[in-house]
Amino acid sequence: MAPDFSGFGRQELVRYARHFVLPEVGPEGQARVKGARVLVVGAGGLGSPVALYLAAAGVGTLGIVDHDVVDLSNLQRQVLHGTSSLGRSKVASARERIREANPHVEVVSHQLRLTSANALEVLEGYDLAVDGSDNFPTRYLLNDACVLQGKPYVYGAVDRWEGHVSVFAAQEGPCYRCLFREPPPPGMVPTCAEAGVLGTLPGVVGTLQAMEALKLVLGAGDPLVGRLLVFDGLALSFRQVHLPRNRECPVCGDEPTQTALVDYDLFCGLEPEPSPPEREDLPQIAPGELRELLAGPSPPFLLDVREPYEWEIGNLGDQGAVLIPMGELQRRMGEIPRQRPVVVYCHVGVRSALVVEALRAQGMDGVWNLRGGYLAWADEVDPSLPRY
Amino acid sequence: MPVITLKCYATLAAYNPPKGEMTVPESTNLAGLVEMLGIPPGEVKLMFVNGRGARQDQVLSEGDRVGLFPPVGGG
Repeated sequence: MAPDFSGFGRQELVRYARHFVLPEVGPEGQARVKGARVLVVGAGGLGSPVALYLAAAGVGTLGIVDHDVVDLSNLQRQVLHGTSSLGRSKVASARERIREANPHVEVVSHQLRLTSANALEVLEGYDLAVDGSDNFPTRYLLNDACVLQGKPYVYGAVDRWEGHVSVFAAQEGPCYRCLFREPPPPGMVPTCAEAGVLGTLPGVVGTLQAMEALKLVLGAGDPLVGRLLVFDGLALSFRQVHLPRNRECPVCGDEPTQTALVDYDLFCGLEPEPSPPEREDLPQIAPGELRELLAGPSPPFLLDVREPYEWEIGNLGDQGAVLIPMGELQRRMGEIPRQRPVVVYCHVGVRSALVVEALRAQGMDGVWNLRGGYLAWADEVDPSLPRY
Repeated sequence: MPVITLKCYATLAAYNPPKGEMTVPESTNLAGLVEMLGIPPGEVKLMFVNGRGARQDQVLSEGDRVGLFPPVGGG
């Protein structure tokens, strides 16, 4: 039987020519790609290559979920967005770029944060989901929603120089919960903003996710079901480990105990145990109070524990602040006066809260956290400071 | 005493032994290994022995290849 190209216009025949000649794709496979509906959760570092490559490959419908706006610090890795998109919603920016990449793709914008209340409804219209999120509650939520709807979940995650990729398809293999049974305690895992991430890393990992998504659509090759691919950018190595399915998994196990979505912020400990800046037992000071203290007769020692590049963006040096990055603190403890009260600040008050706890544990009593950090100071006291 | 190959990933990289090898007492299991390394509880989320997922009570043998992973969540 002659190959059937009837579903493609002349432009598409040329555009997808390199796919048509692949035995694993051909006109039948490309028709499957054209008919596919893929949800990309997160239009950031991972979501960028995922969306661009799936669009270029001709995935017929791409849903993009994100609630954030494009920030200058995103552009080092989030190649879906450009300088002209600064301040725009990521979903709108992504839509424009995807349509430029391939006008044959229908882009569905989901300008929202995925929650238990909307996840099943959003996912309903798609064949599979690709995870480009940057937080644990969303990862557990997306996994559980995919298990409940019987849809494959293409997982990716990055940290500094390392990345993970897997495919969770609960009918055949483990799910994300089989891998990470319990979420990490809140605040334990540094975000990309805190830990850093090499710009090309999500490019590598996201491209692999896009490849796995295309393989699933095509039914080609061996998807990463039951395997975790670990990429080490420094060593430039790929390793694979085998993931067992947990037969006692509460979501995908033989006798699941969880058959509906739950509150994932709660599950990940974000509500019952508030993050450090909100803890009642943590001594904190508001920006307005700090301003008064600094203008008084015995101003506190103001300690900035951010990274040097953050100091360069903006700082409280005019208030006498001293920079000792968190990682250097142990070595430079001698620079912190013992006879004066100390106020510690970082970007938003999370890292500094950990420092306050550590200093108090070492016997320093007069140590306070600046509630809301540098950003709160900029909002409430000195609007001339640049925000980042 | 068994000699194992150990690779600590991502944020745990500081715990890697010199040349990636270490000797452990007989009957050491993965939980004991993590304690020996001084890794704070809760920081290891995944453990693998010889490329397969393993539980904390798995006892280590000569030549085992152990991988310890923290949770990775960035995107």
